[in-house]
Amino acid sequence: MFHVSFRYIFGIPPLILVLLPGASSDCDIDGKSDKVFGNILMVSFNALDSMRDICSNCQQNASNFFKKNSCDDNKEVKFLYRAVRKLKQCNKTNNSEEFNDQAERISKTTLILLNCTSKVKERKPPTLHKVQPTKTLEEKKLLKEQKKQDDSPCFVKRLLDEIKTCWNKILRGAKKH
Amino acid sequence: MTILGTAFGMVFYLLQAVSGESGYAQNGDLEDAEPDDYSFSCYSQLEVNGPQHTLTCAFDDPDVNSTNLDFEICKNLVGVECLHLSKLQDRYFLRTKKFLLVGDSKICVKLGDKKITCKNINIVEIVKPEAPFDVKVMYHEEAKEFVVTFNTSHSQKSYLTIKDLIHDVAYRQEKDEDNWMHKNLSNTKLTLLQRKLQPDAMYEIKVRSIPTDYFKGFWSEWSPSYHFRTSESKGEWMDPVVLTISILSFLSMALLVILACVLWKKRIKPIVWPSLPDHKKTLEQLCKKPKKNLNVSFNPESFLDCQIHKVDGIQARDETEGFLQDAFSPQIEACEKQRLGGGMQRPSWPSEHAVITPGTFREDAPLRCLTGNVTACNPPILPSSGSPNCGDSDKNGTHVYQGMLLSPRTTNNNLSIPCPLQLGILTLNPVSQGQPILTSQDSPSSLQSEEAYVTMSSFYQNQ
Repeated sequence: MFHVSFRYIFGIPPLILVLLPGASSDCDIDGKSDKVFGNILMVSFNALDSMRDICSNCQQNASNFFKKNSCDDNKEVKFLYRAVRKLKQCNKTNNSEEFNDQAERISKTTLILLNCTSKVKERKPPTLHKVQPTKTLEEKKLLKEQKKQDDSPCFVKRLLDEIKTCWNKILRGAKKH
Repeated sequence: MTILGTAFGMVFYLLQAVSGESGYAQNGDLEDAEPDDYSFSCYSQLEVNGPQHTLTCAFDDPDVNSTNLDFEICKNLVGVECLHLSKLQDRYFLRTKKFLLVGDSKICVKLGDKKITCKNINIVEIVKPEAPFDVKVMYHEEAKEFVVTFNTSHSQKSYLTIKDLIHDVAYRQEKDEDNWMHKNLSNTKLTLLQRKLQPDAMYEIKVRSIPTDYFKGFWSEWSPSYHFRTSESKGEWMDPVVLTISILSFLSMALLVILACVLWKKRIKPIVWPSLPDHKKTLEQLCKKPKKNLNVSFNPESFLDCQIHKVDGIQARDETEGFLQDAFSPQIEACEKQRLGGGMQRPSWPSEHAVITPGTFREDAPLRCLTGNVTACNPPILPSSGSPNCGDSDKNGTHVYQGMLLSPRTTNNNLSIPCPLQLGILTLNPVSQGQPILTSQDSPSSLQSEEAYVTMSSFYQNQ
């Protein structure tokens, strides 16, 4: 009985916190975002633009990510949040150290400025009672190619460009208001 | 039971927490050690060596035993969680490009693995810029100013650029210690006017910078001083003289203008533009009443009583007048009384009548006139107004006697002159020579002249 009381006392509250609905991302953009963007983020974007040897022969093939995510009206913060998280997941072995550093700066700085209170889950965790369907070879191959494509410097470069464009859109909208 | 278990759990937890915060030494002994002051301060410098930044920390108390103490920075770093600072004498130094430059980082003082004290510091708020350099002073003679220029390494940086800095230029005369003058500017050029500096003096100038706007922090170190000497400004020495001269000339001009305005009508205008005098007024001015009541009239009759003297006879005239004045003055007064008592009117004298004064007898010309030679005699004929002024005007003895004829002999004797009015008109008659006779014409006036002649002869006989 004694150890049961401990479980209830010290175990339930954290569990409650975890089980609280966290799917919604409440992001509040910092009021100094314009200064941070002009003094810090733009330095990183300019440094990445100077790396013209990377992605010089990129093809404008549409990635699934951009098909599902775009910087539409009233969805800018959500797009930025997902874009920087995608950026962090990309394999950085294909890029130079300087490129990776600048990309990480952009992702971290964006997350700080967005000031999101909870993380947005992109995938639902699989339930224990359901049996995962077996993927066919074709589907596996497709996923591999998709992942390879997302890790390419071209995708990362495009992702960074989309992040910069979306930031400009947010700040222009903030100036108008 | 559940409640009891919960209570015991809370007590054990509190005990552990309290024991952890007490001064529990590593050797297990409980000691009431005085806590050392591990307060510290840090500053950062961005892009000092290429893309790398630096972080420098030091304890505020220099007496702190920092033998086993280390500094560590965590949070908001790129690619790593924490970084350790290296110890350099009494300071702790870190050079890296991993600073995120956004948000607060946590800097802690560690004693081994134990964190003694920590601070949340934003790297961009403790920035210390690099010192400016290459300070130069150029003199522009035409503009009479000194142009100060300097350079800073932040002109080529990405984060803390030159637009994010404010510069402080300090200058002083070398002899004036601690009398620095400061000027703040956002660019790298400053102009100092020569007139605001002492001439022929040696100056020292230096510059420092501080971040502004998004970046905050501390003043940089001073740049190396630059020394320059101001020139001997002759213009400045002459300026007081020129100023004085200009002021004096201006005042004199003003005074001239004022005097010209004041004296224009009375003095200047008559000289510059003299007005034509009125002939009547001028004549009146010229013919002002004399002091001695002379007749101012051009009527010839008023001058019959006046003695007429030639230029040569002035001296004789003066003597005779003096003599006659003494002799005749009482008789004249008597005649005046008779005239006034008889109510006689004075006859009007024609202008052609000659008047011969006693003064003329001493000369040849008058003698010839007395002998009857009229042609030889040419006495001046002076008109007379017939007023008694003519006789009274000359107090010195120029007496006019109407119709009076005097022989040479009478000049040496005391003459008793009858009243002039009773003598009547006296005219010259060209009778034979040797007869100093003046006869009157056949008219009532001639009767008067005869009476005058008779009277004169009787007067002469009496003598």
